Amino acid sequence: MRRRVLALAQIAPVLGDLRRNFDIHGHQLAEARAAGADLVIFPELGLTGYQLQDLAPEVAMRRTDARLHALAKQTIGGPSAIVSFVEASDDHRLFAAAAVLEDGEVRHVARKSYLPTYGLFDERRFLAPGDAIRSTRAVLGGPQVTGEVGLGIGICEDFWHPSLPAILAQDGAELLVNVAAGPARGASLDVDQGLGSAASWGMLLRATASLTTSYVAFTNRVGVDESLIFWGGSRVIGPDGVVLCEAPLFEEALLLAEIDLDEVGRARTALPLLRDERLELTRREYGRLIAARAELPEDGAT
Amino acid sequence: MSDDHARSAAERELAIDGTMVAAMCQSFIAAHVSSTGAERVVLGLSGGIDSALVAYLTAAAIGADRLIAVLMPTASSSPSAKRDAETVIGELGCQSELIPIEAPLAALLGTLPEAASVTPIRRGNMAARLRMTTLYDRSAAHRGVVIGTGNKSEILIGYSTIYGDAASAFNPIGDLYKTQIRALAGHIGVPRQIIEKAPSADLWPGQTDEGEGGFDYPTLDRVLYRIVDRRMPIDDVIAEGFERALVERIADMVRRSEFKRQMPPIAKVGGRSSGSDYLYPRRRPNSD
Repeated sequence: MRRRVLALAQIAPVLGDLRRNFDIHGHQLAEARAAGADLVIFPELGLTGYQLQDLAPEVAMRRTDARLHALAKQTIGGPSAIVSFVEASDDHRLFAAAAVLEDGEVRHVARKSYLPTYGLFDERRFLAPGDAIRSTRAVLGGPQVTGEVGLGIGICEDFWHPSLPAILAQDGAELLVNVAAGPARGASLDVDQGLGSAASWGMLLRATASLTTSYVAFTNRVGVDESLIFWGGSRVIGPDGVVLCEAPLFEEALLLAEIDLDEVGRARTALPLLRDERLELTRREYGRLIAARAELPEDGAT
Repeated sequence: MSDDHARSAAERELAIDGTMVAAMCQSFIAAHVSSTGAERVVLGLSGGIDSALVAYLTAAAIGADRLIAVLMPTASSSPSAKRDAETVIGELGCQSELIPIEAPLAALLGTLPEAASVTPIRRGNMAARLRMTTLYDRSAAHRGVVIGTGNKSEILIGYSTIYGDAASAFNPIGDLYKTQIRALAGHIGVPRQIIEKAPSADLWPGQTDEGEGGFDYPTLDRVLYRIVDRRMPIDDVIAEGFERALVERIADMVRRSEFKRQMPPIAKVGGRSSGSDYLYPRRRPNSD
């Protein structure tokens, strides 16, 4: 068995207040360690707050930032952590990023590929989209655990583009993590949990776990930025699409869930969707569409 | 379509989970009080359902001891409204202040060049802005912050006085239709007589919103919900059985009041300008 205890830190970050947010992360990490967690997952932009607008460049951090590395030092001996912040790149672009902190180091950084810029969202105005979708292998835990886990990270909107978790799973992810800053909207008794955003995310996350036959861990924040009230509802879903546990809506919580990564192998034997995925067919058809949209002749070589 | 039918249809379409929405509004209030650093919330309490609901939500969010309800009647305010406001104050056990604004209102109106011919609407707008002036002073006196009480229905049709009752530091109920306000008020225990009486801006004796506007709130809410939330063209709304003249009038009220829902435009002259490309959160932290 490859067991890991996940701790989903459903926190309420303070907009733009990095010192407070680093404190919150440090405390949650300590609490998760005391509870026996192997991996603590924090929400999207948990270190900076979400509705930053022109604050984004002012709170942005490089991967080498001393504060980030000080937080990483707290992962020596476990648990590991996934934290999210505005990342400034060498060429001065800003990204919504999530980093894996493990054994005292910043080990892997995922950048948000899909920046919603519609309705209540205006992310593309302030941020650049990531251009790589990569899974990684990580221990996820301290010296008490053995082996590595295939890990794929998406940031909020990323999972609404199903190619992204599909690519992460093809690239080796067994555990798909989504870190989110999902604002509540669409309060109505007509939908699950009385909230449109909770209902649509609930459907999406179960479908994503089922279609990728992977564990899905979703950490969504709570609290308020300006007009937005974040709904929480963090949850862990098994590779069969069954919700294993779920945090309350709108309240801070540290949700603990034990998973066994060997379940992923069994699920994929029973339902070999990933094995049967035809990457070359997908690439060929997308290639045709890309060429057609650009009004170019189809390039049979690609 | 009978009023009862319209009301039950609106209640069905706009049904919300009262416990959850109350929790949302309360966390919104608590977060904004905290981010402003205010010690108290100052609320203009009219005796109507909107301000009563905000009083209950605020008391639940930060404690009734941090809520100051301010009653600001004019000579035309109804005695029953004052009684209802006092019931809210008694039920919640919050602080209150009675600051009648009839004397300053009459004095200000009396100094105008055409004092004798001021219309009831202008008088009502001036009363609303004197209440705003009073509330902002009380918030300064009490280290408080002024909370808004406008609902989504009246905000969308522009049934408010710009820089009067529309002015506030933040508004926890401005995205709830009147139908939803009624449901939420019932859910959190606002006294029945406040929920059931006809909504009124109390601009003159016997005035009601529905009488003045020529609509009933349930139908107004159903039409607004279609035009705004569901982005339906008005012909499609009419095709569902709503009266054409009413739908067109509501759509027109929404169109004509866009300016009331926005900050005034600032002429852009320089390189970086408030409102267009200088865009910060309302409160900036001091930390690095």
